[in-house]
Amino acid sequence: MASTSNVGPSHPVLFTTKTPYPLPSQKFMIPSTWKRYQLSQLINKALSLSKPIPFDFLVRGEILRGSLGEWCAEKGAGEEETLEIEYVESVMPPEKMSSLPHEDWVSSVSCQIQGFFLTTSYDGHIRSFDYSQKLINSTQAHFAPISSLCVIPTSDSDSDSLLLATSSHDLTGHLTKISPASSASQSIASLHLHTAPLSSITTSHTGAHLLTSSWDGLIGVWDTTIPTTDEVPLDEVERHDRDRKKRRKIADDVEKAIRKAPVTVLKGHAARVSKVVFGKDETKVAYSCGFDSTVKMWDVENGFCTNTITASEKPFLDLAITSDGQTALAASTDRTISLYDLRSTTTHSTTAISTLKHAATPSCISPSAISSYQVVSGAYDGIVRLWDLRSVKSVMASFKTWDGEKKVLSVDWKRGVVGVGGEGGLEVWKIGENNS
Amino acid sequence: MTATGLTKNLKKRKEVDGEVQEPGPFAETVGLEMLSDEEDEDGGSGSGDREVDEFPEIDTRSDSEDEYEGSEDGSDEEDDEESSEASSDADSGLHIFPESKTILSNITGQLKHVYPEIEPDYDSDSSTEDAPNRVGNVPMHWYDDLPHIGYDMNGKQILRPARGDELDKFLSTVEDPTSWTAAFDKTLQMDKPLTPEELDIIRRLQANEVPDPSYNPYEPTTEWFTGKGKEEVMPLTSAPEPKRRWVPSKWEKQKVMKIVRAIRQGRIVPFKPSSSKPQFYSIWAEPPSSHPPPLPAPKPRLPTHSESYNPPEEYLPTDAERAEWEANDPEDREKDYLPKKYSALRLVPAYDRFIKERFNRQLDLYLAPRVQRTKLNIDPNSLIPKLPSPNSLRPFPSYRSLRFSHDKGRVRCLSISPDGAWTISGDEDGVVSLWEVNVGREVKRWKFDYKIGALEWCPRLDISFFVVGVEDKLLFLIPPHLPSAVFTLTKSVLAPATLPPAPATPSPIKWNTPPSSTSADSPILTIDLPSSSGVPRQITWHRRGDYLASVSSSEGQGGVWIHQISKRHSQAPFKKIRGSVQLVLFHPLKPHFFVATQRYVRLYNLAEQKLVKTLMPGIKWISCMDVHPSGDHLIVGGYDRKLCWFDLELSDKPYKILRYHTRALRSLQFHPTYPLFASSSDDGAIQIFHSRVYNDLMTDPLIVPLKILRGHEVKEGLGVLQVKWCYGQPWLVSAGADGNVAVWCS
Repeated sequence: MASTSNVGPSHPVLFTTKTPYPLPSQKFMIPSTWKRYQLSQLINKALSLSKPIPFDFLVRGEILRGSLGEWCAEKGAGEEETLEIEYVESVMPPEKMSSLPHEDWVSSVSCQIQGFFLTTSYDGHIRSFDYSQKLINSTQAHFAPISSLCVIPTSDSDSDSLLLATSSHDLTGHLTKISPASSASQSIASLHLHTAPLSSITTSHTGAHLLTSSWDGLIGVWDTTIPTTDEVPLDEVERHDRDRKKRRKIADDVEKAIRKAPVTVLKGHAARVSKVVFGKDETKVAYSCGFDSTVKMWDVENGFCTNTITASEKPFLDLAITSDGQTALAASTDRTISLYDLRSTTTHSTTAISTLKHAATPSCISPSAISSYQVVSGAYDGIVRLWDLRSVKSVMASFKTWDGEKKVLSVDWKRGVVGVGGEGGLEVWKIGENNS
Repeated sequence: MTATGLTKNLKKRKEVDGEVQEPGPFAETVGLEMLSDEEDEDGGSGSGDREVDEFPEIDTRSDSEDEYEGSEDGSDEEDDEESSEASSDADSGLHIFPESKTILSNITGQLKHVYPEIEPDYDSDSSTEDAPNRVGNVPMHWYDDLPHIGYDMNGKQILRPARGDELDKFLSTVEDPTSWTAAFDKTLQMDKPLTPEELDIIRRLQANEVPDPSYNPYEPTTEWFTGKGKEEVMPLTSAPEPKRRWVPSKWEKQKVMKIVRAIRQGRIVPFKPSSSKPQFYSIWAEPPSSHPPPLPAPKPRLPTHSESYNPPEEYLPTDAERAEWEANDPEDREKDYLPKKYSALRLVPAYDRFIKERFNRQLDLYLAPRVQRTKLNIDPNSLIPKLPSPNSLRPFPSYRSLRFSHDKGRVRCLSISPDGAWTISGDEDGVVSLWEVNVGREVKRWKFDYKIGALEWCPRLDISFFVVGVEDKLLFLIPPHLPSAVFTLTKSVLAPATLPPAPATPSPIKWNTPPSSTSADSPILTIDLPSSSGVPRQITWHRRGDYLASVSSSEGQGGVWIHQISKRHSQAPFKKIRGSVQLVLFHPLKPHFFVATQRYVRLYNLAEQKLVKTLMPGIKWISCMDVHPSGDHLIVGGYDRKLCWFDLELSDKPYKILRYHTRALRSLQFHPTYPLFASSSDDGAIQIFHSRVYNDLMTDPLIVPLKILRGHEVKEGLGVLQVKWCYGQPWLVSAGADGNVAVWCS
């Protein structure tokens, strides 16, 4: 506080916070040369915290990056104007926890299950690792590259076995039951609809429904009840293959799966659908994005498209919904991630709220489960970036995986742990999440 | 009367010419006759004179008579006098100048002229001749009102002579034959007959002769130095005679030859009229010039503040301005001086540029251009053609999204599936990789023993396979993970259960379907090209996907084959080919076939079996070519770095020639849907062009260079060997000699 007597212009500032470290509501005169570090020290000193906590400061919803004076000059705020500054706990620099090399590229990673990492790979295997980096389970689910993986929440709290849904280039999705703790696995059902490789599979939060997207422009809606008989007949080629018995023994297990047909098919995309997700905490709404530069909102029950966001020449690669369910993030090949407001009622809104610019093609997005502002994105240049949506101009933090030009294909951020899957296998990093 | 006088005169002249020495009496008679003649004449002329009381001429006459008499005394010179008298008589006997006599000199014994002595008395001066009127040279109209016209020597009045009226004048001209030789004498106020001397002068002047009768213009020359006995014996100088004395003058010869040459060339024409201009003309007849008068000289510019000796501070140059001024050439300077500041006028030094400035001013006034000002007042930006900004022509590939590496060997060829999802790339090591365009993950790999020359995916969407050209063979491969319907159809197309009937004419090309028991990785169909035909350099599909043409790299005949999948038949479209075929292409819409030889592109109509047109790109060696999806435009690239755009409906010559690459072009392709085309080169760069074509024939195609994509390394002089566009997206895939295949995204 003594430093407020410094010569030079100063600003009246009111500090607010949602963290458990509130300051008394009182105006401070802050020298305009102060930056985040001095402000953070000020709060630490004012609260006389036993352990110093670094804070980040949001001035009118924007992260303060330079000095206060620079911010005022940029925004044109007057010197006498009282600034309301919100402070949040800083994100700690990401720390690498472990590296789990794979034989092949990792196409999808899931940190959904506490204590385990689940990966799918281009060699068709589902692998599970525990936190001690030990490969516990490796199951060949497909004979083609697996493109995505999701863990279906089950109502019975049977922790021994997990129901996993995978989508693959062999035109099917699979439901596989594995027990993460042991090497047991069982193929339950295969999903037959698409005539092109599947790009993603996702589950509703209840676990009752699945959505698959494919390169043929279709979105399949499935339920997770396992029928007793095949719903789709075996086609000629596969029968022929099966007759030849050229597959290995393990293939029999795969082929024992019951062939399942979709509940509904959502048609509307003109090109490849690259990602489909359910809306937050609801099973009726789904969002999809595709190479036709559209983000579509679907009424899943009735099977029609409720809204289309058409961008110009942005083939979308990945889509994510923030935890508050109000913003969609879509990564496109023009090296941006676009933010779209899902609350807007106009049927054909095209303008993005803001864009996150990358140096390379962003391939995957994972929003924080807790904070609606924090997003992790992975790109083809092997760098994983942490963004704060309140301040989209530059990244909050970034880290390089596999030391070089290896593509990141999947990120998953749960409980402060980011699993990064890609060309070099799996890496696990630790990034704290803000609870704001 | 005059006629008789003339004959007498002639007679006398004859006598004089004939016999110079005449006896005295004869001369007397002649003199008398002459006198009588003179008397007569005098009488005629004296008709007017008689009115004057005292006529001094009588005195002179009497004087001359006295002279005659006196001269008679001189016995020596009598003959001469007479002869001279006679000769003077022949010349009308009138002399105003003293007459010379030609006498034989006593000393030299030759003829000599003797002039009468001038008596230096009062009479000898003609100006003091006794004019009766002594008023002097005063205007005679002063006496107009007076009865007299002046005074004589004695102060007596001279009365005005009576003047006859017009009738008298007329009568006198009729009656008196000598009246026309009389002239009005102002001082005497009367007509006075002209003396014979005066009349003689007038006659001589009329005849263009010398007025002096005694002057002989044709006197014989007096030889002083030439002639016998007059030679100079001693030379004047002892200098040797110069050469020019005895050598013909070269300078004269040149002068003469110049004239001779002019005559020969007809420049000098004899008897040419001197000029068409009349001898006399009115110089004021021409209308005055309508040109405006010349402008007054411009005033020099007035000095400004900065030219003051003590300018305000703001006019003084800064150091940067001074440096710039000094760095510039004098022509480029904005001002030709630098403002300087002096605190007092007495500190100002002499103006060093005064002379130069005055001189320039003089030249200005003389309209003498000193500096060739080639500065064009044109904005250089206006010379750049108005092309739209590349940003307004998005999307186009702008960055490398990912890279797929072949372990060894340069990647010669690649192809993209018609759905735009998969890429196959073949390298010189014999590896064909199938990978996902968007992720770059290799899904399947085939290995062959030979280097891969060409790859092409079948453009049909209902079936899915691709053709790989290796040494002497075309291999048909099916990618994995096909939907069963597509797979079944593809198999039935490539390996039908019942083979179509063999064509009538046997072909040297064998179509082999391996037995079904072989593995799925092996080719489903093989076409064996004639042996030693080499590696297929190019494979190109017809749009419908039934025909495929292959060009083999072998020298000589038989490089081009067209294969028909449905009939399992191959044929050579040309019996004889001129030049080595580099490339072939199917027209996208018409049954036309482009064949590029080393220098020309020929367009054949396959249905009518004839040549449609020959395109002349002017390239030394064609390396690549592609036809626009509309079929109306063709781009051709060459190893000599040129890229030619042909408008097929316009001309056989290129519409535009682009030279943007620094090395040989390797590959070209139009995007099937977007208005883009790309060219790749051995300089390792890929260039993206916007190419919008219009349906109307009036608008020219718009070609805008958009982007240069760099990222491929040049290895052993080879850069980017092939570029292919991704169907449906503005993405480009490029294969480089460095073993990398790159995907460029917008």
